[in-house]
This record gives sequence, structure tokens and C-alpha cells, in this order.
Amino acid sequence: MSRLLRIYKPFLGAGLQEATTYRGNWFFGLIGEVMACFVSYFIWKAVFLSSGNEAMNGFTMPQMTVYIFLIFLTSLLIGSGGTYDVGEEIRDGSIAMRMIKPISYNATFLFQELGNKIMTVCILVLPLVIGVEIVRTILTGSVQFNILQFLVYILSCVFAYLINFFFNICFGFIAFIIKYLWGANMMKNCIVGFLSGNVIPLAFLPNAVEKVFLLLPFSSLNYTPVMIYMGMYTGKELLFYLGLQLFWALFFWGLSKFLWVTASKRLCVQGG
Amino acid sequence: MKQIKRALKMHRIFVAQELKRMMEYKGDFIIGMIGFLLIQTSNLLFLTLVFSNIPSLMGWDYTEVVFIYGFSLIPKGIDHLLFDNLWSIGHFTVRKGDFDKYLTRPINTLFHVMVEKLQIDALGEFIMGVALVCITIPKLQIEWSIAKVLLILLVIPFATLIYTGIKIATAAIAFWIKRSGNIIYMFYMVNDFAKYPVSIYNNLVKTIITYVIPFAFTAYYPAYYFLTGEAPLFNIGMPMLISTAIVALSIFIWNKGIAAYESAGS
Repeated sequence: MSRLLRIYKPFLGAGLQEATTYRGNWFFGLIGEVMACFVSYFIWKAVFLSSGNEAMNGFTMPQMTVYIFLIFLTSLLIGSGGTYDVGEEIRDGSIAMRMIKPISYNATFLFQELGNKIMTVCILVLPLVIGVEIVRTILTGSVQFNILQFLVYILSCVFAYLINFFFNICFGFIAFIIKYLWGANMMKNCIVGFLSGNVIPLAFLPNAVEKVFLLLPFSSLNYTPVMIYMGMYTGKELLFYLGLQLFWALFFWGLSKFLWVTASKRLCVQGG
Repeated sequence: MKQIKRALKMHRIFVAQELKRMMEYKGDFIIGMIGFLLIQTSNLLFLTLVFSNIPSLMGWDYTEVVFIYGFSLIPKGIDHLLFDNLWSIGHFTVRKGDFDKYLTRPINTLFHVMVEKLQIDALGEFIMGVALVCITIPKLQIEWSIAKVLLILLVIPFATLIYTGIKIATAAIAFWIKRSGNIIYMFYMVNDFAKYPVSIYNNLVKTIITYVIPFAFTAYYPAYYFLTGEAPLFNIGMPMLISTAIVALSIFIWNKGIAAYESAGS
């Protein structure tokens, strides 16, 4: 364990350094994303006002508000850029340098990204959670915060991050087939965004579609943690979805290993 | 006149060069276009799912909302298609010191940057916008007149230049701080508000998207005029006025930036 830490600590540090160097840029990007949250907030507000119903598909307006901002928070926590890291290295051939080093390919990315995330977590989680809780308390009239639920949410986020990380690594290998990573990544983000409940809560979809989507790996990314935070999953259901998350995390971990071995065999780098 | 002729000729050369590059990577073009089509489809699915729960959104019915949405994609798509290179100025050209290349050439830097690349993927956005507008128009009760059609066609280039102007001004910030990619992004994201009827927002947001970062003039106001025929002076005149002002201001900022520019080269 301590050996592991000694090897990968520099990567952690490099990630953190990267994040702090361009913090201005990071901050402005963040505001852009918060704006998108407000767009959905206003649309939903108009929708609820127009419908005249208290609740829609099990969501009330306060719950929808909480949902929008929790999805945002969760996306920040579990976001992963593995597709680019892997894809670019395959494209420019620097992946060859990775192969001659006696360290794990996945682990270097993982630690670098975790280092990058430290800043996000430190600066954003507390204010966002407090903000969501204040809004929740005002809107519903009573304190809704439940420490146990919150801890399960964090656990669920860890699973979700691992799924996302390994899924993105796997997807990065697409660079062997498609050289246009930006376009491929955009396509992936769009599909994953819809399947994971980023665009609309899965409960708004037709029943049969919702059932299928809930079993796919993507609902395990954003939707499951948010549902847990909001207390929509309890008891057996909660255990089932956590188990499903663990299954998908292991699945993509295995797949990334498999792809790495396969890729190492057929990799052909031009020039140097 | 001679200058314009020369600029047009340069533009042709650049575009031809881009098209050659694109033919080399046909697959990329298809992937990018499908990507943009997918994004729009996902937003449309969102609208459809939402409207399956409500008869109308604050008085706007499904067809009208889709029309406004589709209309918003047209100027956005054109700007995206023609002037996407401004993003790279903000993200990396200045930071990596590559901007020097523009300064050493005997054409205007801004012109060069703008015509250098064609983001053909954006056709996905543009086609979707045109398709949505064409599909919704027969279902809308619109009073037709030649003047109306002409005004709408006339306002599109001005609406496009609102996007372009905002991108030029924010990209130029990179001349002072080296990296402004996410500042462009921040301003650009405001356009999301303008895709939906402005009446659903509170007064603060309304004021911002009308007078501060005036994206509402790229879609909602012209589309509103088209739907109702009301207040052409405001709904069509203002976009033109504002667009001209923004472009003038952004060119001014760009030139100031060029003067302040110090190469980051290594």
C-alpha cells in the first residue's frame, strides 16, 4: 500500500498542480455550467406552473430544483476525462512511452485525475451541499438532511466515478478506429447525458424505457447517487442499485484491462 | 473596393484549402455532424417529454416552442460553421505562442483568424434548425407577407454577428491573459437561455439576455415577430442595431488586444 502511494504520489501532485495553475479558466468554465443549471431550473418552473399539478412523475418543484443542482454536483464529482487522455496518446503515439514504464497504465491516469479533482471537491462540495440543503429546508419547511443518506451518496459517487473512469478509458481505445476524438467524445457525452438522467429525470420516460435505462451502466453514473441523496431509493431497492453500480464498476475495470492487453498487441506507432 | 475583392479572393482560397483537408478526413465530418444532430435530438426529446405532461408552456404551445428553438439554431449554426476558429485563439493559439504566425502575414489578423477554418460539423446544427423551422411553419397560424419574410431573412446575418461579436471580444481577452477559452464558454453558454421563450424567465435573467449579453435578439425576439407580427421595430430593428454595435466594439477590443499582445513563445 505504501509502495503504491510512493509510486503514484507524483501523479497526484501533478494533477493538483495542473488544476491550480489554470484556476481562473476552471472558474469561468464552472460559471458557464451553472448557467445551464439555471436554464433548466427556469424551464421546469414554467413547466410546473403550466401544469397546475403539485407533482409530476413523482417529482415536486422543490424536488426538481434539488435534482437539477444535485445532478450538477454529481457530474462535477464523477466527471472523468480518460477518453481524451488515452485517445490522444494513442493518436500521437506517446502511449508507447507508457508501455516501457513499470507502472500501471490506468493507475497513473486515475491518480492524476484524483489530484485534479481535489480542488473541485475542496472548493465546491461544501458550499453546494449547504446551498442545496438550505433551499430544501426553505422549500419544504423542515430539515431534510440525513447524514446516513449523505454518506451512502458519497459511497455511491465513488462507485459512479470508478464506472465513469474505466468506461472513459475503454472509450478512449476508440481512437484506434476513429481519429476524430473531439467528435466521437461529443457523441458519447450526448448519449451518456441522456441515458444517465442529465437531460431529464429517467422517471419522465415511458415506463418500459425507464426500466431498461435503469439497468444500463449509465443510470449508475448520475441518476443513482442523486436518487439516493434525495431518499428516493430505500431498503432493498437501495442495496440493489448499489450492487448494480459495483457490478458495472468491476465490469468496466475488467474491460479496460482486456482492451489494454489487446491494444498492446496490435499497437503500431508511426515515427517517434 | 479593391480591398473587398482581395478579401473575397483570400476567403475563397482559405475555404478551398479547408475543403481539401476535409475530403481527406471524410469520416470525421460525418461523426461531427452526427454528434451535433444527436445533441439537438436529445434537447428535442427533452421538450417532447416535457410537453407530454403539459398542454402549453406559459401560453406557448409545443409547435411554437420548437419553432423558436429551431430558429435559434440557424444563426448559431452559421456562426459556428464560419467562425469557429475564434475558440482556438482563446483556448491555445495565444497560450502556445502560435499567434505570431498571424502577425507576420500581410492581411488583417482578425480576418485571417475568422476565415482560416470551416467547422463543417456545425452543419448538423444548421440543418436541424432549418428542418425544425420548416416542419413547424405549416402548423403555425402565421399571417404571411413579403415584407415579413424579407425581414426575417435580413435579421439572420445580424443575429449571427451577435454570436461572432461576443466570441471575438471574449477571445481577444486572451491577448492580455493568455487563455480565455472558458471566458468565451461562459458568455457563450448564455445563449442557452435564448432558445426558449424569454417570458419564462424572471426579470433579472430577462434583462441580462436582452441588454447585457443580448442573445435573446438572436432567436426569441425575431421569432416572436415572425409568430405574432408585433413590434417589428423592436424585434427586428434592435437585433440589427445591437449586432452592429457589438461587432464594432469587439473589433475595437481585438485591436486593443493586438496592441497589448506579447508573444508567449518559447
